[in-house]
Amino acid sequence: MAELTRLIYDKRAREIFWQVVILLALVIVTVFIVRNASQNMVNAGIASGFDFLWRTSGIDVPFVLTDYTSNSNILGLLWVGVVNTLVVTIVSIIAATLLGFVVGVARLSKNKLLSGIAGAFIEIVRNIPLLFFVMFWYSLVINALPAPRQSIGIFSVAFLNNRGLTIPVPVEGSAFKIAALVILAGIVGQAAIAIWAKRRRDATGQIFPAWATGLVLLIGLPVLAFGIAGFATTWDLPAFRGFNFRGGFVLVPEFVALFLALTVYTAGFIAEVVRGGIQAVVKGQWEAAYALGLRPNRTLSLVVIPQAMRVMIPPMTSQYLNVLKNSSFGAAIAYPDLVSVFVGSALNNTGQAIEIIAITLAIYLAIGLAVSGFMNWYNAKTALVTR
Amino acid sequence: MTDVAATDLARPQGPSILRRLRGDYFATPVDAVISIVCLVALVAIIVPVLRWALIDANFVGTTRNDCTGGGACWVFIRARFGQFMYGLYPIEERWRVNLAGLLLLATVALSFWKAMPQRGRVVPLMWVAVMLVGVWLLSGGLGLVRVETRQWGGLMLTIFLSVYAGVLAVPLGILMALGRRSELPVIRMLSTIFIEFWRGVPIITVIFLASLLLPLIMPAGWDIDRLVRAVVGLAFVIAAYMAEAVRGGLQAIPKGQSEAAAAASLGYWTTTRLIVLPQALRIAMPAMTNEFIALVKNTSLVSIVSIFDLLGIAQAALADPNWVGMNNEAYVFAGSVYWIICFGLSRWARRLEGKKTTY
Repeated sequence: MAELTRLIYDKRAREIFWQVVILLALVIVTVFIVRNASQNMVNAGIASGFDFLWRTSGIDVPFVLTDYTSNSNILGLLWVGVVNTLVVTIVSIIAATLLGFVVGVARLSKNKLLSGIAGAFIEIVRNIPLLFFVMFWYSLVINALPAPRQSIGIFSVAFLNNRGLTIPVPVEGSAFKIAALVILAGIVGQAAIAIWAKRRRDATGQIFPAWATGLVLLIGLPVLAFGIAGFATTWDLPAFRGFNFRGGFVLVPEFVALFLALTVYTAGFIAEVVRGGIQAVVKGQWEAAYALGLRPNRTLSLVVIPQAMRVMIPPMTSQYLNVLKNSSFGAAIAYPDLVSVFVGSALNNTGQAIEIIAITLAIYLAIGLAVSGFMNWYNAKTALVTR
Repeated sequence: MTDVAATDLARPQGPSILRRLRGDYFATPVDAVISIVCLVALVAIIVPVLRWALIDANFVGTTRNDCTGGGACWVFIRARFGQFMYGLYPIEERWRVNLAGLLLLATVALSFWKAMPQRGRVVPLMWVAVMLVGVWLLSGGLGLVRVETRQWGGLMLTIFLSVYAGVLAVPLGILMALGRRSELPVIRMLSTIFIEFWRGVPIITVIFLASLLLPLIMPAGWDIDRLVRAVVGLAFVIAAYMAEAVRGGLQAIPKGQSEAAAAASLGYWTTTRLIVLPQALRIAMPAMTNEFIALVKNTSLVSIVSIFDLLGIAQAALADPNWVGMNNEAYVFAGSVYWIICFGLSRWARRLEGKKTTY
């Protein structure tokens, strides 16, 4: 008896007791859920398991960047969703970061007109639901553009109408591969120049216009390559047949609307992150840079932004992860992203609700972990070394 | 700081507006160019918008034919105003919604009334009471005519979802935050998994999860109302975000506080309830308000599963053949309502932040 009372008043014993109770409760709830689910699935005549992934999907997707057709299996459909989600996420992150930096720096401008406009942009964008922007842009894009028959031709190779922007694509061949390689070479070259320029600047203090050179490289090389090899490529030109364009590649209006919505919305948040980061750099840093004779924009780009980056990376990571998650808003306008093709179309066709939702959640968690892992690595690399 | 004071002294007292304009906007050639570009851009945006929204717009009338100007047809919003606010809620029962709204406002006001005796106990009880009364008022039964949740909609539904999911999320979020900082490994791990899972997945999949899976994991024959499903889904996500906000508050409380309480032989729950949480919540309040704003915006996603909140009903109204092509009017109206609510809340959060420093 005395043993037992001692046990009740023992902190350690109590702690173990409560943890066991909570674990037991969790097990009971899980068993309850699994039993109900399996019972309900038997009643509805749905077989559990992941075999459905290899079934032919029979679903047409309007925006495909892989070699998917409606004869492909559901796994292929899943891949289409993943690729479409990643494409719109990456493009929007890049655009939102650029716009966000511009607005964030403008917000801090001494010119009250400029900072006022930036402030108004931030306050408007941040206080309205993203879904509103997605629908609003979509309705604007669809309503502002003409029907296919009255398409706006661009040099009569690309056509803009309310079903999207139809552009010619090179038919896959040797010249096409060369062009892709050249673009890759341009990117690598630009990176190399940037690293070299930074090293030289750190060593000698001389500034090399890495950005301008890189831009020439990035645009010039592919143009040159296309000039030489590109004409040999056979192009798949869009042509008007029946009621719509055949051939070419269609950049669907859903993509454009989702991209614009994600970019504008996220830029509002990134602008505040940038403003906070720049304001976190103590004023003495500016003054010291001025005392050394640096001009304001050089001070900003060489002294302030690099230090502000350290403050900005963690909240910026959250914003990038938000873009990934928010790309699912495309489902509202039927942009074929992961949620739209998988939780929408595939689930409707197969009825495998549990498996499909589990796969979708797992994919988002996996991509999210990868992004935050990369950003944490980058953060650790740029963090201030303290002793 | 010093250069500001210097220019103030240097500035003559007389006709200074022109000089100040010059100083603020045309100090250097670059400044002048920026100012002019901004001004042109501002005029280029504001003038057409104003023309569309006010000058060329039509405000009076009942049908589409009353819209003769080239601008916005606000007649549409007027004709649909009831639906935008109440959805398909029966017109003769709308007083119940209004009464529930008034009760909610009174509860919010009382929650921030510092002089209330026994505030820590009364406020939670009051919220429980107002939420129960709210459900009764809105859905009926017990003497009131039943109104199916299918008929709810518009702004009323947006507020309903936000308030119910938000209020459920606060205690859950506090528990999860305490759990994440607990010394007990099992509890800490479970709380961390809960928080990271709900924060890591898109809210839209959570809404699908709630609307498709909740009926599947319940015993056969249990019918959960789809509004309840949406509230549960939203509450879990917001609880995870609230938990992180509260964790921030908890981390700001010096360890000496709980050590002092332990020295006074107070137990964990007493210490938490009387000493740690009141301080932590005060610090976390602005962050929690921001999460609540995010929730208000995210409720709009329920329209994906055919629940017609404000944005959903605005979109549904566009399907009316009598009012084809009113997209801009519908979206601008719905967007403005969201903006007023969220901007108001964020200003309030900022005021709370300002107050905090006075402690």
